[in-house]
Amino acid sequence: MEELFRLIPDKYAAALAGLNADKLCELRIRNGLPVGVCYDGVYYYLAPNGITRDAGGAFSASPNEAEQVVMRACGRSIYTVTETLKRGYVAVSGGIRIGVCGSAVMSGGSITALKDFSSVNIRIPHEVIGCGATLFGKIAAGGRIESTLIVSPPGAGKTTVLRDLCRIVSEHGHNVMLCDEKYEIAASVKGVPTLNVGPRTDVISGADKHAVLRSGIAHMRPDVIMTDELFKEDTESVVRAAYSGVSVIATAHASSVAELLQKPDLAEIAARRVFARYAVIGDAPVRGVSVYHADGAERAA
Amino acid sequence: MIGTKILLIFVFTAIGTAAGFTVMRAYRRDLAYLSGVCAMIDELKRNISYRKDGAADILRGYKSESDRLTVNIGEYLKYAAEKDGTLEISKGYLSAPVHKAVCGFFASLGRSDGDAQLKELDAYGSSFCKLRDAAKEKSEKYGALAVKLGFLFGLGVGVLFL
Repeated sequence: MEELFRLIPDKYAAALAGLNADKLCELRIRNGLPVGVCYDGVYYYLAPNGITRDAGGAFSASPNEAEQVVMRACGRSIYTVTETLKRGYVAVSGGIRIGVCGSAVMSGGSITALKDFSSVNIRIPHEVIGCGATLFGKIAAGGRIESTLIVSPPGAGKTTVLRDLCRIVSEHGHNVMLCDEKYEIAASVKGVPTLNVGPRTDVISGADKHAVLRSGIAHMRPDVIMTDELFKEDTESVVRAAYSGVSVIATAHASSVAELLQKPDLAEIAARRVFARYAVIGDAPVRGVSVYHADGAERAA
Repeated sequence: MIGTKILLIFVFTAIGTAAGFTVMRAYRRDLAYLSGVCAMIDELKRNISYRKDGAADILRGYKSESDRLTVNIGEYLKYAAEKDGTLEISKGYLSAPVHKAVCGFFASLGRSDGDAQLKELDAYGSSFCKLRDAAKEKSEKYGALAVKLGFLFGLGVGVLFL
């Protein structure tokens, strides 16, 4: 919460201080509009005395508040976050990730800069020690970790489960290489993870999966590679890693295995049998993890 | 009586020489400040072109021989650390054009992406280096002269007084 409070105006921090930090998921600030809060999975507005459903009684963000949040997040040095801003976010220590909207500056068909920030979504990470234990029990076999794809809709806890699984796998003696592309799994600051990812975990932060999977396997000799949010462009790198004898554990957006197999960008990975298991995170409030064999897809492990 | 006269001449000469030294120190102080700014810009460019640390982090580790520059860096660091701070760079003994340039320089830090920031630093670097070269020339040319003139002026005043 301390890191969050550093980013936002004092009046918002005072209002949030009375809430249960474990239930706070997001703070949404849109210039000139009521400030939104996702609390225990439900959206409210932020008001002087806490949360409310009444937009009229909520704090209204100032016309340049999104920019102020971004400038605080980057220590008033926008060049430190230019690359991630192009991809729509800023990573902050402690695993906080700020989604940013604004006007894109295009050149040659790609975004070269983002300016005139209009809104930010501050996502607060949660470290739930032990939430990956059940999954670990189902994917660890004969001293080896099965390649597994963790699946859930956005915001259901994939990253939280992946982080805890990373810690457990690492504590069981496996060398883990963690590709923390968005600084939200290990949330390293100056080379030191701020969240617990285990004692045998090597973290590469900020780099894309392609670079990490290619060079990391060659130089770090990991037993397991873990990474967040697979997309189509990651297919070749993941397949190469899996075929080189390294277990791969990754996450993907989908609400079920059936939906996952229908997604064009992930169907190829599924077809090539890269993952031996699919772990599906259930709905709130239980958020149980169901594990399926890749060959039978819907057959529970 | 002669002893008193010699003492008075000595006192006036010492005062004149001290005044000359003060002028020389002022030249050197300006030179030290501007040399410090140029070195600081080089340090920022070196870091931003590779490590891309935040401007405040880079400046926090920068040690300047100029007390005034140390004060100005401290003012920038205070601004960077505050949630809603406003940047105020104190003038001290700086001339109006140097103060204006320094304010513009600190205000530009961190406002653009890496390439644009480096170009801005290049531009500020070359203008501050010109100011530094001018200050160096002034210091070398007039610094020693001020001491000599102060000595002669003090001596002259002492002689005239008698």
